[in-house]
Parts: sequence; structure tokens; C-alpha cells
Amino acid sequence: MIQDYLSTESQPGKLVVKVSGRWVFDDVLALEEATASILPEPGQSVTFTCSGLEEIDIAGAWVLYDRTEQFSELGIQSELTGFKDSHIKFLQQIIDAAAIREYMPPRNGPRKSRAFKNAVETIGAASSSVIEDLGAIARSILDGVRKPSLIIIGETIKQVYYTGVQAIPVVMTITFLIGIVTVHQAAGQLGKFGATVLVVDLVSISITREMGVLLAAIMVAGRSGSAFAAALGVMKLNEEVDAMRVMGLNPNQMLVIPRILGLVISLPALTIFADVAGLAGGALIAIGSMDISPLQFVERVAYSTDLSDFYVGLIKAPVFALLIAMIGTLRGMQVRFSAEELGLKTTMAVVQSIFLIIAADALFATLFTRLGI
Amino acid sequence: METIISVKNLVNRFGRQVVHNDLSLDIRRDEILGVVGGSGSGKSVLMRSILGLHKPNSGSITVLGQNIEYHKPGPSRCWGVLFQSGALLSNLTVQENVELPIALYSDMPIETRHELASLKLLMTGLSLSVADKYPSELSGGMKKRVSLARALALEPKILFLDEPTAGLDPIGATEFDKLITYLHDNLDLTIMMITHDVDSLFGICNRIAVLVDGSVVVGTVDDILDSDHPWIKRYFGVSRAQRARFVLTEIRNG
Repeated sequence: MIQDYLSTESQPGKLVVKVSGRWVFDDVLALEEATASILPEPGQSVTFTCSGLEEIDIAGAWVLYDRTEQFSELGIQSELTGFKDSHIKFLQQIIDAAAIREYMPPRNGPRKSRAFKNAVETIGAASSSVIEDLGAIARSILDGVRKPSLIIIGETIKQVYYTGVQAIPVVMTITFLIGIVTVHQAAGQLGKFGATVLVVDLVSISITREMGVLLAAIMVAGRSGSAFAAALGVMKLNEEVDAMRVMGLNPNQMLVIPRILGLVISLPALTIFADVAGLAGGALIAIGSMDISPLQFVERVAYSTDLSDFYVGLIKAPVFALLIAMIGTLRGMQVRFSAEELGLKTTMAVVQSIFLIIAADALFATLFTRLGI
Repeated sequence: METIISVKNLVNRFGRQVVHNDLSLDIRRDEILGVVGGSGSGKSVLMRSILGLHKPNSGSITVLGQNIEYHKPGPSRCWGVLFQSGALLSNLTVQENVELPIALYSDMPIETRHELASLKLLMTGLSLSVADKYPSELSGGMKKRVSLARALALEPKILFLDEPTAGLDPIGATEFDKLITYLHDNLDLTIMMITHDVDSLFGICNRIAVLVDGSVVVGTVDDILDSDHPWIKRYFGVSRAQRARFVLTEIRNG
């Protein structure tokens, strides 16, 4: 209510505003309404008497000050009187602050004609920095391989454990389940032709050539690609990377190479586990519910699937590993300023590595078909 | 004098290490209390316990008569905190950082919010040209000022400062001390300040609390300097104490 904050009394030539109550942050909205209701008649000046004020803070004092500023813009004279000592200092601070307030230059966004130029420049700068980063990584890989240090070997072993050994249960579980799904789906279709036994060929070829390595790679991209980006990103934000640099350590060698090497070792190994689990899943359903005997299953697998099918799957694993590790570490190293950026780069790392894995897989499929493998 | 913050029989342990052993401390209205202590003496743990960010093993804490419980909303409208590194939200601009608490606690129109935030920035000695910058573009001293402006955004009664002058050059530190005194005098603030800066300790604090042996020794500047406790004597070692006395007489003589 307006009466809680002020009451007005019109005198000849001036409007006396008696200020009272609590002028504090919580009531700013009501205070603004109350001060807006002070409307002097033409020729009247405004006098605020503030002796009845119970409490005031910066926000409340600002509302009062702001109204007097508005009056002076309208050419109405106004004055503030009768402050208690304990209250006037709040007003004084606002007057002090207003005095040092600088002229703020108007904010102008990028003009249209420059938007295109800016975009091109941004893309250019981003790609050149990616090329530069990749070059630096490649160079330090070469250096690292030429004179491998104990630290790098130790770190690499740690990474093999984190990205490989710890991922075995989850990778085996999902490929086992996909083996089950594949057999179920294929049996329905092949059964129509009375060729149920061919599900074994199908599951064994698809798991060894494609599904095993692809599922392992996607799982690793989600697990380790994100972990790489987040870990390196936080290290960047904590200035740990800078600390390494000033100690003369090359962060690419210390952080990036062990992760890349570790993943290049662990993903092929995971692929073998994935293949075994996928076949086991297929076998469970084929033998358990499709009248295919264990011997028959093994025979069909041996007949249909060459060692080359297995190698076709396996050869892709290090390539996928390289993609995941390069993108994860690169995105992590690109974190510069903020926590939000860290989240963004981590997302980018996962999305881009999965995208590139599938794109590379398509390339491989085309290549192998052309080569007739 | 009215007690604003009351810590009673606080016990904090980390494993076997006892940080606070039956610690009791009162902070009075309108005072600037400096908190000192060696590394691991539990200065930050004390502050975090008061703020409800740390769960003490036992003991009770009241702030403005309200009981503080771990991770429960405390009287957050009534206190402002300046964290050591500033703790500005890195994805918001300076202006947005200061406006955020105002937007959370008030439904005032956006122009008013904007004005009040700008006012707080000006009060902490910043120019408005920093308003559109991100925290990562600011120097350490500016970050602290922005963080202080954010702490003041809701017109708090109590201000917690965690090593406000750490990492500032002597000139910047002196200016920051002046700023704290100015705000203390003009905003009726009660301030609890963790600091290792002897200049600010003797220059602006009314009382000093020294955390030693899991407990606390509180007193005026002179009480602390006259203390017989061996650690306190070492902390304010002879040369430093002399310097402090010098600073003190200089201040008292204007």
C-alpha cells in the first residue's frame, strides 16, 4: 500500500511528501509504485521529508534517488530533507556512485555486412587451430615413440586399465544381448524359407565383421571419449596444463599420448571380448530354442566365417580408437575459460567421435567390398 | 552487544585429525572479526560450517537467531560471501553475475534490477565498462570486486570474506581494505574475514579470532598481541609484531 511508504500534502508552491516505513530491497516493486504516484501540479516543487523513515537500504535509497532524477529531467525541482544520520549514508553512496558513473558506449552488435566475414574468420581460425593442435600432437607422438619415457609407459598402462579392462563387463554384456537380438530377428525371417540354421552364419558374420567392433567402439566413445575430454578440460581450467608446461613437460606427451596409445591397445582387445560375447549370445538362443545342436553351431560358424572376417572387424578397432582418443583429448585441450565450455566440449567429443566411427565404418565397408574381402 | 552469529561447542573431525574441539565463538553486530590460524587449523571449515556447507560432527550454530543445518537453506537473503577465488559463474557476464541473486529473490522489473546491479558494481569501485565482460577476462582484483558486488546484491547484514586480499598487490590490497571499511561503515555490515594479511588484520578488524589447538582465542588487536600462547607469539613473531605495532600507531595517529 502506498500509505505504508509515503503520504503527500499539497501546499502552495510545493508538494510535501512524508516518507515513512521500511524502504528495503524486498519492497522495491511497491516502492516504485508509491513513488510513481507522486504527481506534483505544474509549478509545484517536491520536498521529501524523511524523518519518519524506519529503515532504508541501497535498493530503497535508489528508488528515492531515481524519482528525484526523474523529476529533475521533467524540470521539477525536488529536495530530500530530514534524513537521520544512520540513513543518509545510504543515499550518499548512491550519489557518489552516480558521480563516478561513466558514459557507457552504446552496444552495437555485429553489422550484417560483417556477419559473413566474421563467420568465415571464425571457421578459418577454428580449422587452423585444429590443424595446429593435431600437428603438435602428431609431433609429440613421434617424439614419444622415438624416446619413450617410463612415465608415458606407466600412464599408458593406467589408461589401458581404465578404458579397456574396466569396460570389459559392459561391452561383453551389450554384445551378448545384441547376439540374442540378432538371432531372434533373423530366425523369424529365415524360418520362412526353412533355413533357420543359417541364423548361425548371419550372427557369426555380422558380429565378427561389424557389430562387435562397432558396439565396443561406441561404448568406448561414450565411456572414455567423454572421460578424456572432461579430465583434460578440468586440468586446463585448473591451470594444471600450464603448470606442466612451465615445468618443461609437454602436456601432449604426458596427457594425450598415453590416452591415445592406451585406447589403441584396449579397443582391439575389447573387440575380441565383444566378438566372443556376441557369439555366445547367439549360441544361447540358437541352441536353446531353435533346435540347433552345439556341434552344428560350431560347424556352421567354422564353415561360414573365415579368419579374414574376424580380421576385418579387428583391423577397424585401432582406427576407431585413434578417432575416439584424438577427438576426446583435442576437445578437452580446447577448453579455455568456463565450466559451461567444458560440458559443451565433452558433448562434442562424444557426438563427433561416434559420428566419425560410423562414417569410417561405412568407408571400410565400401573399401572391403571393392577389395572383395 | 548483540550477537549475530553464535557458534557453540563445535566439533569437526576428519578421520583421526581433530580440527575443532569444542569451539565456541560469538560474532557481534557491526564488528569486523578477523580469523587467523595456521594451515589446517580449520578457518575455512569454520566458515563453511557457519554457512551450512559443511556438516560438523557436533555443535550448534545460529545466525541471526536461525539454526544452521547442513545443506538446508540458511538465511541466504541476509548474508553475502566472497569466496577466495571469487567463484563467479563463468558462463555469465559480470552484470549477469550480480543480477542473478536479485532475479532469484525479487520480481522487480528488469530495468530496476539492472540499475541496482550497476550500482553495486560502482560501489565496489568497478567501472561499468566491465559489465559485459566474462569472469575469465578479468584480473584477480577485479574478480574479487565483482564477487563482492554479487555478495552485496541482496543488501546483506553479514558479509563473509575468505582471504579477500590474498593474491592482490599491496596497493590493491590496501584499496580493498579501504573498500571493506567503507562498505562496513556505510551499509551497517557485520563482517567475518579470514585473512593472513597482517595489514588488514590490524588495519580494519575490530577483533581477532585465532584458531589454535582446535579452539579459539578471541580478543581485540592488543589482547592478541599480548597473548602468551606460543603459537600466537610465533604467528605474530617479533619482527612482524613490531611492524604491526607500527602500522597500528600510524593508523591511530591518522
